[in-house]
Amino acid sequence: MRRLPIVVVLVIGIVLTLSAQYQDRSRVTWIEPGSASTLPEFDAFDSNEGTLGVLNASGPVETKGHPFFTALGTNGRACVNCHQPTYGMSVSVAGLLERWRETDGKDPVFDAFDGSNCPGLPQNQDKSHSLLLNRGLFRIPLPWPPRSADGSPKHVEFTIEVVRDPTGCNTSPRYGLKSAEPTISVYRRPRVAGNLKYVVSGGRPIVLKTGTLSDVDPETGKPVGMNLMSDAREATLRTQAVDAIMGHEQAHEAPSRQQIDKIVEFESQVYVAQQAHIFGGPLAVAGGPPGLGVASLRDHRAGVLGDNDYDPVFGLFTAWKGDDYYRSSVARGADIFMFRQFWLRDATHINSIGLGNPLKRTCATCHNAQMTGQDLSAGWVDVGTTNYPTWTEASAESSELPVFKITCSRDADPHPYLGRVIYTTDPGRALISGRCVDVGSIVMQQLRGLAARAPYFANGSAKTLREVVDFYDRRFDMKLSDQEKEDLINFLGAL
Amino acid sequence: MRPLALFLLASAAMLGQQRNFVSCPIVRDTKTVPCFLVEYEGETYFLGIQQDITNDFHPPQLKHQVLVEGRVAPGPRVCGGIPLRPLSISVLKEVNLACNTLLPSEPGIDAPAAPRGPGPSSQRPDPRSPPREDFTGRHEFTVPFAFDDDYLEYAATQVVTEAAAYAKRIGAANVKVSGYRATTLLSNGDHLVEKAGLAEKRAQNIATVLRGLAVSNVIAEWKNEAEPGDGQADASRRRVTIVVSP
Repeated sequence: MRRLPIVVVLVIGIVLTLSAQYQDRSRVTWIEPGSASTLPEFDAFDSNEGTLGVLNASGPVETKGHPFFTALGTNGRACVNCHQPTYGMSVSVAGLLERWRETDGKDPVFDAFDGSNCPGLPQNQDKSHSLLLNRGLFRIPLPWPPRSADGSPKHVEFTIEVVRDPTGCNTSPRYGLKSAEPTISVYRRPRVAGNLKYVVSGGRPIVLKTGTLSDVDPETGKPVGMNLMSDAREATLRTQAVDAIMGHEQAHEAPSRQQIDKIVEFESQVYVAQQAHIFGGPLAVAGGPPGLGVASLRDHRAGVLGDNDYDPVFGLFTAWKGDDYYRSSVARGADIFMFRQFWLRDATHINSIGLGNPLKRTCATCHNAQMTGQDLSAGWVDVGTTNYPTWTEASAESSELPVFKITCSRDADPHPYLGRVIYTTDPGRALISGRCVDVGSIVMQQLRGLAARAPYFANGSAKTLREVVDFYDRRFDMKLSDQEKEDLINFLGAL
Repeated sequence: MRPLALFLLASAAMLGQQRNFVSCPIVRDTKTVPCFLVEYEGETYFLGIQQDITNDFHPPQLKHQVLVEGRVAPGPRVCGGIPLRPLSISVLKEVNLACNTLLPSEPGIDAPAAPRGPGPSSQRPDPRSPPREDFTGRHEFTVPFAFDDDYLEYAATQVVTEAAAYAKRIGAANVKVSGYRATTLLSNGDHLVEKAGLAEKRAQNIATVLRGLAVSNVIAEWKNEAEPGDGQADASRRRVTIVVSP
């Protein structure tokens, strides 16, 4: 028998040790609605990449009776179903698949209303939940045409046709565009219900991207940041919570003010970030990059522009330059994010708002808000994930997502780069604004706790961070080397 | 006569001439930020460079033609083009795939020095607020627009915000918003007329913004007929005026 080289034996030993270490620490972490547990002030959850940190800045949280963790509607769902601490206050496909197996698809997260491809499908089959199980997507049914705050239909600049309907929902006589209550179903990832002081900051009276008034908080009348939802349809955490309870939880009665208070209070104090890397070790270390780790999110000021070289988006990474392989790679990735120039082209609400097309800049131009990497102004941008030809689907014929044809009226401004006829899997902001220029624009998401909550993009098309980086490399012809891609992935995974 | 002398003579003859034309923009990469150029009747003109959104010059866009309204300015060529100052540019709305020229960086062609390069900013924000103009009595604010556009650019939002602040400070009895659309007389003799209904849209949009900024007593009016063009100051007639009266 041949003897294994000593190096191979050592590597196998290290891998087994690490694997055992992380396996020992793994536990059932899916929180069910109505369960009784105490969420500690600081908790850590293992993922493939290391450990996610979850911080309750106000101290331990009792889940029993708490409205975030309690089903308030008719389908057994609570907020926590789709915003699990384990998965960075969102939910991953890996977690959903595990949950499907454990409950035989009976968990309320798979509720017919929006946890399946369409309510009319046979709910006991996994193929009826394929978008949730493959991409982590929930159905978002939106009224068409969109309505103003007073309930009146908004002026719409385009017509919309369903040209491919793999889920059957958009052509359904009961749920579709031609039903008694015309509805468009799009499919989107749940956004992170944490680090929200950053997400809701930055409300300004006039939206830079449109030159029009910002939405306002219906209670205070103050302008809001419009970065909460992927289509900016909800003004505040309060309105979002009510909408989610009436929709996702299928409540027949509106929640009480006290319930909403408690939900918003909880969401406003919970922070998530990567805390350790499986090989790189702890990320929040004395003398290390100041923006890593969950405590930094608690302590940092919200609403600060980071598109600069003296106080950048996620802080300076100079301490890790020339350190071990992993830390050096993360530091290089941070430099790529901040300084690697490329031609930003044909991105509506970036190139089209006075910056010029193309624009020679960096990732941080758009991902400019300190600590989260969202846009500090109202952040809907058509980066190209949903609109043909740059969309993330291989082809219209093979798309798992519905494909819509948008035709803009002659008296409206066309989409700046696609004109008056657009094929899209999700019109994004345009489903709310009714504007042709907004077709395909999606509010950018925060970049924290990424490793715990794959897949990525609002349409869940990128299974890994590598696929995210590959999309941008392809979309903007960045010509990233393999080393640069690895560095960017390590950097993003450390956030 | 030598070519250089001919060139200088020709340039001197052009100095101060107004140039109004529609053409595809050209992007010239440099070692720093890109330059935006445009060609017209065999000559290359320099429009400006990439900067921030707070800059007065907003560059044109590939995939779109641009309406250029500028005066030939003295001084050497910039990025290989004759500078135009003052200058107004308007990105035309319809997509034009023929406008797609991105030239590589070349030795000897440099962008003028600018506060911001192509990377993140190096300038710390100035914590001092800019001094506010001390208006008194009736005051007229003018909000400029690009051709055929009702989008309030960054600078325009500043004007509206300033007007709103003034109206609220004095408790204005009347805030009159007047919208206009205009005609541009092109250098080739053609007329470009802004679309019908735009004057109303501009006025209504700004009135809505002012009301949203808690300004009272706002009335909007508009002139349906397009202002005539003289080929000299046509860009200045695409506007909304806000007259704030005590």
